[in-house]
Amino acid sequence: MTSIDVQDLTKEYGATRAVDRLTFSVVPGRVTGFLGPNGAGKSTTMRLVLGLDRPTSGTATLGGRAYATLDEPLRHVGALLDAQAAHGSRTARDHLRVLAASNRLPERRVDEVLEEAGLASVARRRVRTYSLGMRQRLGIAAALLGDPPVVLLDEPSNGLDPEGIIWIRELMRRLAREGRTVLVSSHLMNETASFADHLVVLGRGRLLADTPMQEFIHARVDPRVRVRTTDGAALRDLLARHGYDAVEGEGERWIVSHARVDDIGRLTSGAGLPILELAAQEGTLEQAYLDLTATEAEFAAQSPTQPQEA
Amino acid sequence: MPFAPVLHSEWLKIRTLRSLVAGLGALVLVTAAFSALAGLDNSADADFDPLFSAFFGVSFGQIAAITFGAQAVSAEFQGGALRVSLSAVPHRGRWFAAKATAIGVPVLAVGLLTGCVSLAVGKAVLGERASGMSWGEGLRGVVGCGIYLALMALFAAGLAMLLRSGVATLSILIPFLLIVSFVVGDVSGSAADFLPDKAGQVALHETWGGALGPWTGLAVTAVWAGAALLAGAWSVRRRDA
Repeated sequence: MTSIDVQDLTKEYGATRAVDRLTFSVVPGRVTGFLGPNGAGKSTTMRLVLGLDRPTSGTATLGGRAYATLDEPLRHVGALLDAQAAHGSRTARDHLRVLAASNRLPERRVDEVLEEAGLASVARRRVRTYSLGMRQRLGIAAALLGDPPVVLLDEPSNGLDPEGIIWIRELMRRLAREGRTVLVSSHLMNETASFADHLVVLGRGRLLADTPMQEFIHARVDPRVRVRTTDGAALRDLLARHGYDAVEGEGERWIVSHARVDDIGRLTSGAGLPILELAAQEGTLEQAYLDLTATEAEFAAQSPTQPQEA
Repeated sequence: MPFAPVLHSEWLKIRTLRSLVAGLGALVLVTAAFSALAGLDNSADADFDPLFSAFFGVSFGQIAAITFGAQAVSAEFQGGALRVSLSAVPHRGRWFAAKATAIGVPVLAVGLLTGCVSLAVGKAVLGERASGMSWGEGLRGVVGCGIYLALMALFAAGLAMLLRSGVATLSILIPFLLIVSFVVGDVSGSAADFLPDKAGQVALHETWGGALGPWTGLAVTAVWAGAALLAGAWSVRRRDA
């Protein structure tokens, strides 16, 4: 079992602290979404995990070992950092052959991952002729080359068409099902909600949350129920009597906060109120995330000095 | 990680870039062409050196060699390519050693070929005027030409790794080789003899007057190349990718 363990990791560039005493673990068998606004330190953290940047302090290990000590690392960890990394004058196949050669991976794997990424038919074309989406697929193919138990993807859905987005989503779910450790950064909430099981959220280099996604949403967004009835006034009175707060929305639909369909359904049925529509409104990751960042902003505003433990 | 697969990978990188392969072709052609032109110049010069006339094109061919060395390295600084390379091979010292080998060996091989072609073309053009040139001198010139070009390519490679840019490297080296060295170089018997190109090119002359001979001259160029490579290695090992 290979997990990614980040311990008290800090990275400073001059006076700015890009990553600030970060501690979290990414475990196998699930997709971990790595969230945060641009500049929150997601990419820096990934580079630190891959041993590309030197941490100011703290450690990042894979299965207990620093990346630089891995023998033939592509067999252990696959990463997509930048879709522009492949040289434009090389063909996609040659780009992967170069990588495979360094880690003694069989050339057969090159063709397999090209097939998997849907690039087999254009494998002998120069990367210069590729669209951003195709480059992104090539970067993902490179990450899969060594059939690694750990996969790190930095904004993998960038530039992908709708078909590509579905493909990458299915791919990440499958990799997790196969028991691999999958860390995927993104700043797109709806996108992340569609594939992540677990979330690690960063803000200005610090860890804001490290929780299962459903828990994250439920803890921050109240469940709401949408009801449509023939008698709005009766509904409002009924709900008010039972301590629910109902607001009329568009098209005579009433929105009930802090409520679940089970309770509202029984209540209205008991009162003999005709119901035309009854639906749960699940909180979205976006709402939960905005709630978290709003709290953070408030916290930062209240304390002019950076809230840092001594 | 063993060295051989890393070297194989670096060699594939060079082979799969058409511009680099073309650069090696240009090395042969440019050198031979300028050597032929030099031989056509019939003006009677007191210190006419038939061997250097046959290798005159090296002054221009070396531009192709340093461009090759600088480009092979600078390809790593396009769009985060270095990060991909170093995540495949995290042992940075070994990685850079493989890269330098993959640059130096082909240039040495093509440089030796360049020397042979240039000498043959030069002798043919010079005709009678090359009669004083011995086989030993010719052989020394060919070997010197190969080693010199390989060292200059490595010098450029080390510099490109230090500066993290092929453009910066070439905009220092090309004016240096074409202008500074031509101007300062005529003042023989001074510190200018120890410039990387002046020192190494002694091996291409039939006679020499300065402090350095053919092999000591190449050794001085090797010191320059070694220093540049060490600086490059230091840079890639110390800095964030």
